[in-house]
Amino acid sequence: MTVVAAPLRTAPRRGLLLAPVVLALTILAGTAIGETRLPFITVLQTLANQLWEAGYPVDRIDAGIIWSYRLPRAIVAACCGAGLALTGVVLQALLRNPLADPYLMGLSAGASTGAVLVTVAGVGGGAVSMSLGALGGALLAFGCVVVLAHAVSGGAGGGRATQAAAAIILAGIAGSQMFNALTAFVIARSANAEQARGIMFWLMGNLSGVRWEDVASCSLVSIAGVGLCIWHRRGLDAFSFGADGAASLGINVPALRGSLITATAIMVGVLVSKVGAIGFVGLVVPHAMRFLVGARHDRLVPASALAGAVFLVAADVISRVIVPGQVLPIGVVTALVGAPAFALILVRGARR
Amino acid sequence: MKIEVQALSARVHRTPLLEDMTFRIEPGELFGLIGPNGSGKSTLMRCLAGLSRPSAGRVLADGADLKRMPARRRARRIAFVEQQADTTDRLTVRNAVELGRTPYLSPLRGWSEIDDAAVSDALKAVEMTAFATRLWHTLSGGERQRVHIARALAQAPELLLLDEPTNHLDIRHQLSLLDLVGRLPITRVIALHDLNQATACDRIGVLRGGRLFATGAPSEVLNETLLAEVFGVAATRHAAPDGAPRLHFSHAL
Ligand SMILES: Nc1ncnc2c1ncn2[C@@H]1O[C@H](COP(=O)(O)OP(=O)(O)OP(=O)(O)O)[C@@H](O)[C@H]1O
Ligand SMILES: [Mg+2]
Repeated sequence: MTVVAAPLRTAPRRGLLLAPVVLALTILAGTAIGETRLPFITVLQTLANQLWEAGYPVDRIDAGIIWSYRLPRAIVAACCGAGLALTGVVLQALLRNPLADPYLMGLSAGASTGAVLVTVAGVGGGAVSMSLGALGGALLAFGCVVVLAHAVSGGAGGGRATQAAAAIILAGIAGSQMFNALTAFVIARSANAEQARGIMFWLMGNLSGVRWEDVASCSLVSIAGVGLCIWHRRGLDAFSFGADGAASLGINVPALRGSLITATAIMVGVLVSKVGAIGFVGLVVPHAMRFLVGARHDRLVPASALAGAVFLVAADVISRVIVPGQVLPIGVVTALVGAPAFALILVRGARR
Repeated sequence: MKIEVQALSARVHRTPLLEDMTFRIEPGELFGLIGPNGSGKSTLMRCLAGLSRPSAGRVLADGADLKRMPARRRARRIAFVEQQADTTDRLTVRNAVELGRTPYLSPLRGWSEIDDAAVSDALKAVEMTAFATRLWHTLSGGERQRVHIARALAQAPELLLLDEPTNHLDIRHQLSLLDLVGRLPITRVIALHDLNQATACDRIGVLRGGRLFATGAPSEVLNETLLAEVFGVAATRHAAPDGAPRLHFSHAL
């Protein structure tokens, strides 16, 4: 048995060492590739100049593009990818539903309603930023979904916990529909054409406004999210045979569920408020990673975070270069890649 | 582990499922639970496992109220094999059994040799060692059941709760499982439908309609009148070739 066990145990360690390297390379690539392609060496020199005042001769415009626009954008893309993928991992594990993702929990819908209320309807009178509105909307929608799910399952948290998981999915669908309708209502009522276009762009995910100010909050929540999920990896594993199975393995189910779902809600709320609603990452990346590294969360959590980060940086690069002279919303790219990938996963899953 | 069930009642949405049960299970005893479908065996099992909170009364494990015991400590002492539990995760057999070590691990205390040994021993006990690397969804119903039992054994419990563990098992594996359970030096509670298998228990409890109808040694409890009254069957008791009492069921009443 030890023969089998040994390589299994060392593999994640090697991956753990490799992950930062892969991530750094991805972010560098995301910084170098764009409408004007910049040589890798220029990117590295600019970084050296900024971080250690190395004094390499770099074109000022190139340096500006790299340092002020592309680098923060690539970092935020990586954080969002990691965060959204992790949310998918956590929701799918805890709710025992392969379709669970941030969209389904109403987070994205609530965020867009909040953003629209602030930018179009003028709620908050200019004192509230769009990000703050989106964060508030996301958490409010999520709160509604949880309360509704609780009401549906009759508050029978203790025993029939599996039933509560189904209820929360249904509640998520209902909540999403309601908040999407609210968004459409506000846009139809008070937005002019210009605003409507801006909002549509934001709804599909938009990284073009990202600056260094956004990097801190995004990296903080996603790193904290990865840490929290790795900390609770065994608890997530224990849900394999349902909530009752987890409870009989000594997991405090309401506490773990409550804390992890709240943490991921805050994480997604922050991310969505910065970059808009980006679909399919939370759904597809965890499933793809389960095929590659298995269902154990000690490997699934880091693998999904890394793959999500790489995927979203790549999607961002594609969205910038695929149509010359135009930037596509990143959600268009993730959906165009994600939907067929998801179909493939469904078909393969059904066939096995 | 000594189990004391005191005036236990359980209900769902005001529907009473269990009513006013009082009995005790001695340390090291093999206690059988029998009763017709829907009589409350699984519900009682869930209360003994600490998964359902009683609406009245309490369950004491070695004198400690189960309701107040932290989940982790409870899981080190009590293992439960549910009547049905399935997963869509891509787990190997060994992964599934490793879950049994969850209550002994913490975020900082990682996997150790002891855990490996416990998992290997558990797999061996249910004769599933050869299946260790197979994926869960490729297993047959009986194989899954045996993996569940291995998972429970890997928990190294003082109380083992088995809800119809012989379901899905072929006759050889039924007998070897009952033999394995019979030899474990811990307290065991086992819900059974095969009343002849129940005769191997030290004591049995008979449930009917959410109430404890009778408790006692199998030879006292399993008589023709009780079987007619509780199960609605006509039965005769005779001695098997080895001298053990055997029940023969002729028809439904
Ligand atoms: N959540 C619930 N809501 C309503 N009734 C329930 C619920 N759970 C169980 N019951 C009812 O409680 C009764 C006891 O159920 P339980 O599962 O304990 O029976 P059992 O003795 O294990 O039966 P079986 O031999 O079929 O496994 C059944 O009549 C069942 O329909
Ligand atoms: Mg049952």
